[in-house]
Amino acid sequence: MSDVNNGISRRSVLKGAAIGGAGLVAGGSLLAGCGKKQVTGDVHFTIRGNLSDAGAKIAIAANDAYTKKTGNKVISQAVNSDDFQNNFVQILQGTPDDAFGWMAGWRTNARADAGLLADVSDQVKALGSSLSAAAIQGATNPSDGKQYIIPTTYYPWGLHYRKSTMQELGLNPESIATWDDLIKLCEATQKKGLVGYALGDKGGWEAMGTFDILNMRLNGYQFHIDLLNGKEKWTDAKVVDVFTHMGELIPFMNKNVLDISWDGMRDLLLQKKCGAMMMGSWFANDFLAKSQADYDDLWIVPFPEINPEHGIDSIDAPLDGISVAANGKNVEGGADLAGFLGSKEGIDAAVAAGDTNIYISSDFDTSSYDAFNKQKLAVLGAAKNIGFFLDRDTRGDFAGPVVGPAIQSFLKNPKDLTKILDSTQAQWDALPAL
Amino acid sequence: MKTAAVNKNVRSRRSLSRNDRFTLSAFVGIPTLLQVVFLWGPTLITIALSFTYWNGINVGDIKWAGLANYKNIFFGSPVFYDALKNNVVWLLWFTFIATPLGILLAYQFDRKIKGHQIYETIFYMPVVLSLAIIGIIWNFMLQPGGFVQGVMGRDIGNALSIWGNYSINSYVIMAIASWRHIGYIMLLYLAGLKAFDSSLREASAIDGATEWQTFRKIIFPTMRPVNVIILVITIIDSLRAFDLVYIIYGTSTAWPLLNILAFQNFAGQGISMKGAAYSVIALVLCVVPILVYLRIVFKEDLE
Repeated sequence: MSDVNNGISRRSVLKGAAIGGAGLVAGGSLLAGCGKKQVTGDVHFTIRGNLSDAGAKIAIAANDAYTKKTGNKVISQAVNSDDFQNNFVQILQGTPDDAFGWMAGWRTNARADAGLLADVSDQVKALGSSLSAAAIQGATNPSDGKQYIIPTTYYPWGLHYRKSTMQELGLNPESIATWDDLIKLCEATQKKGLVGYALGDKGGWEAMGTFDILNMRLNGYQFHIDLLNGKEKWTDAKVVDVFTHMGELIPFMNKNVLDISWDGMRDLLLQKKCGAMMMGSWFANDFLAKSQADYDDLWIVPFPEINPEHGIDSIDAPLDGISVAANGKNVEGGADLAGFLGSKEGIDAAVAAGDTNIYISSDFDTSSYDAFNKQKLAVLGAAKNIGFFLDRDTRGDFAGPVVGPAIQSFLKNPKDLTKILDSTQAQWDALPAL
Repeated sequence: MKTAAVNKNVRSRRSLSRNDRFTLSAFVGIPTLLQVVFLWGPTLITIALSFTYWNGINVGDIKWAGLANYKNIFFGSPVFYDALKNNVVWLLWFTFIATPLGILLAYQFDRKIKGHQIYETIFYMPVVLSLAIIGIIWNFMLQPGGFVQGVMGRDIGNALSIWGNYSINSYVIMAIASWRHIGYIMLLYLAGLKAFDSSLREASAIDGATEWQTFRKIIFPTMRPVNVIILVITIIDSLRAFDLVYIIYGTSTAWPLLNILAFQNFAGQGISMKGAAYSVIALVLCVVPILVYLRIVFKEDLE
């Protein structure tokens, strides 16, 4: 495997050398056509995933559309997604491709602050009103007010359940409006011998979804973001309240929360062993892969209101998009491609190639959506504020190494809460300045 | 003692030809160079970095942190003590349960009990598997939805909690790790016993020693070189434990070990030099007991 990687990087280095030469020529013509600001030159693009994946085919189709429009060639390279994420910093410091699919939030902003990502504010501006204010705000780096990612797609975190299961139980999750309703729903599900509130946290991140939504429902979006950025304290009574609510859900959870990961949660729902489950909607593809009937049976509703002051005005909806490497050979070209992929033409090309993702752009035609996707949109539309999920909303050296184990310890032993929160705050305080 | 003296004489009398010297320096020099570049270099860099703040991006951003990372670990990270506890449990289990069991098995098989070849093969089998593979196998067996759960008639909803059950998961992990370790120790000891002079055993039998006395007073002391190797292997294997648990739990620290913490703080999105500090702590714990032990052994040998 490492041989293959070496092969790829060596090849791209060679390519890079060739492009460097071409870039000089392109630079000349760029000066000549100064007024029009026409961007030229080949663009290198990293696809996260296998070339055989549906996602890669969609990306290539969209890139081809860009070539057709501008005449600029796009050279795509597929890289294992986990490898790309884990080596992201090293890749960006070497000879990266010009553009790639990436994730908004801390993972973009911190790398932008380190000078590894290129400013794409102009491209975001050019997309104009097709992007909602919330989407632009979500893609904005708070430290300088610029954008380093063109937001394209997103998905909601919400309560998922199977319509058939709820029907058999005589329950209607769409009618739950308050915390008490949710508890009653869990009780009723559990009474019928099913898991009331399915959760797996073996991976250490899955329960962050529940933490996020409880914090946003109880204390509001602003408090949540401030907490994750050190402006509020983990020892605050408001945070204690969040965990107290999580504690109220524990009796309804499966008894093996720390034994199963997100795929275990998915299987609980797939095998009709549980009622409701708090999860990001991306796993719906696996339902579709199982059978159309399973997919049609899947539904999502927003997490109910707890504090009337905040209603259901916030949601975790991780925002994905296209970023441009600052060290790429053709930064301008990369930014141009990124802008194209977020525009109507780019989206149309992707959708024509079979993309079922929810695009954030208002230029996107949603009439072709199936019922579940329309419901996802409705869930997203109910919220004013968009969180990106805890591990993208806070520092990477805090989310995984500190918050993950803290929530696991709480699920293991809820009585230790005070100790856990004290230690979480102490570990935040010990972090070096960024 | 005698041989050491003889060697000394040989060494001082011997003069090396130019060819010998070239061969020797190549044989010693090249591995040493590789060792320095690929092992000592990174080790020293890691030690230096453990006293800094850095997010692994710009070398210019490295800031002196003094002992802050260590302070953070020792006084601010409760998960460190969980990890330390797990490493110590691992060490104690291997030293007092798994390793003696391996020695016992080797001793029994050496006496050629009936069917010993079959038993040897059975116990040796897991040794050919890497701990990572063993992790995959047992995870498939024991996880919710796994084979063992299925045999017990438990589906994923009411699966027995094993990995997440903190009153038993340590024992389960220890048992799985021992599954391989016992066979490994057995093999090493068996090889040692094959070279054992059986006349010693006969002599002690003639003198009327019991089985236990023979083992304790004759065999075990004679096997000293093998014992040293086994002890060192046991300590190192316990403290470097990583792969088995990583396969079962991922980067998550649901069952922390020092090396898991080092990895979690060093790789991926959460790069910080706390990971370097964890590595250094693991290194010290690994190296110190071994150095001390080897020193004692060499001293005795020289005497």
